[in-house]
Amino acid sequence: MKSYTQIPPGTQILIGHAARRRRVLERAICSVFEGWAYEEIIPPIFDYYDVFAKGWGQEAQIYRFIDREGNILALRPEFTSLVAKTVATRLAASLKPIRLFYSGEVLRFEKPKGGRQREFAQIGIEHYGGTAKSADVEILLVAVETFQRLGIQSFQINLGSVDFFGGIVDRMELPKEQIDALKEVLNVKDQPGLETLLQQLPLEERRKKILRAVPHLTGGRPVIAEARSLVKNTRSVNALDHLEDIYSIFEGLDLAQHLTIDLGEIRGFDYYTGILFRAYVHGLGFEVAAGGRYDGLPGAFGEDLPAVGFSFSLDRLEQIATPRLDSNATEDSAIEVDSDFSTALQFRQAGRTVKLCL
Amino acid sequence: MLVIALCKGRFLEPSLDLLARAGIRFSEDVASSRKLIFDSADKTRRVVLVKPADVPTYVEYGAADIGIAGRDVLLETRADVLQPLDLNFGQCKIAVAGAAGSRPDGPTIRVATKYPRITMDHYNARGIPVEIIPLSGSIELAPLIGLADRIVDLVETGRTLKENGLEVMEIIAESSARLLINRAGYQTKREEVRELIQALEKVVVYASR
Repeated sequence: MKSYTQIPPGTQILIGHAARRRRVLERAICSVFEGWAYEEIIPPIFDYYDVFAKGWGQEAQIYRFIDREGNILALRPEFTSLVAKTVATRLAASLKPIRLFYSGEVLRFEKPKGGRQREFAQIGIEHYGGTAKSADVEILLVAVETFQRLGIQSFQINLGSVDFFGGIVDRMELPKEQIDALKEVLNVKDQPGLETLLQQLPLEERRKKILRAVPHLTGGRPVIAEARSLVKNTRSVNALDHLEDIYSIFEGLDLAQHLTIDLGEIRGFDYYTGILFRAYVHGLGFEVAAGGRYDGLPGAFGEDLPAVGFSFSLDRLEQIATPRLDSNATEDSAIEVDSDFSTALQFRQAGRTVKLCL
Repeated sequence: MLVIALCKGRFLEPSLDLLARAGIRFSEDVASSRKLIFDSADKTRRVVLVKPADVPTYVEYGAADIGIAGRDVLLETRADVLQPLDLNFGQCKIAVAGAAGSRPDGPTIRVATKYPRITMDHYNARGIPVEIIPLSGSIELAPLIGLADRIVDLVETGRTLKENGLEVMEIIAESSARLLINRAGYQTKREEVRELIQALEKVVVYASR
């Protein structure tokens, strides 16, 4: 017999201290977003399945159901597709750029790990209709301030690009299966696997050399110069120019210590088109935030607009204890009222926390 | 301090030997002790001993920054970890085996294995219906007493199979010891991790190259 006393795998219940902590964290982050003039959007918890299947790509992870009219609907597995659709439709006539933030639960049918269940909390920002350089920098500045506001010092944001690797494989004119196989070994930096694959691919030695170097292109500014010595194609070179511009701006702001150039990172949802972000915090085995540019996504819903965004995992941020967030207990300061209801009302009007013991 | 997860059992000695050649030594005898945690003599590395099948999990979660485990275990757990080096020991094959000359003729082949995922992937790719019988040891016994038509297991020399009247029918994948690295640790402890990869790379013995 099924046990209905347990909650379904992948869900969780936050009570008392844990719930308070979640809200304090959420409010702290929202105040940073609002400080950069981002406005909140509260999208529906479900939408038509095609909205997510179109851009996000991980079909197997989407919770689907059929409504009474036979439409296929899906519980939101992420926010970006929903927000992009809204911007391209409801907000099409609005003045650009559009800055939006969201906070809420998303659902994915995947193995729970790193403190993230199948239902988990995401909070993030999206910037539509700006110029690439200034919007990317802005998004990164907001991310940096978010970590600082939470009292997290040892964070690191990795900058990659879809176009750097894209430019390299464009030139190779390989069939899709072989590109996928390449991505699979590069994704886990599997050197022996890459060697085996390169033996089968009809590529010049010069191109093989580039592919062998890709997994190691991680680090500070010198990585860009190293990458420049490897590639000549316009798409990759433009990506490097863009990353270098951003890195220089951060050097000028004395914030470059938080950035790492990571051209060896080629993972990401299907909708990403340019720069990629991934944020790590010392002592946590999983990334805590990720994002990137998705210029094609609003276009899929009817309006071509450049777009970039960044999303934090609240469940993972909560694991990095910050005392400032914990000291917010209301329970301790409650006044116990055992006389009558009118005394309780007086204390409440005076703004005190009241606990009735009648 | 970098935390390195090693397998108890047949991988332990070659793993420790490799670490020693890369300059990581321990003041205690790790292999014969009953302890599970050991710090290196210079206190910069810590070794933890876990069951082979658990190494990818420790590394994926970042409880260990680095691990050494067989590729078979990686394929079975599908842990999301970086795997930059082949450490070139513990070579074997993941293979389908069965009673010599046997040809199962039922609508569904029954396969006994310690590797249900690898087995499922293998037969799914070929569109062959199978019933997987998960076992945790003495897999060779299954076809001998009619529990299964085939087995999927590690084959090193093939001697155990032969002595039990079984033969290899198909090779699914080659396996050997691999170096695993946590994705976040690779980023946040980049210098330490790279130093260790390079040190290991220098001392790995590539017998065949």
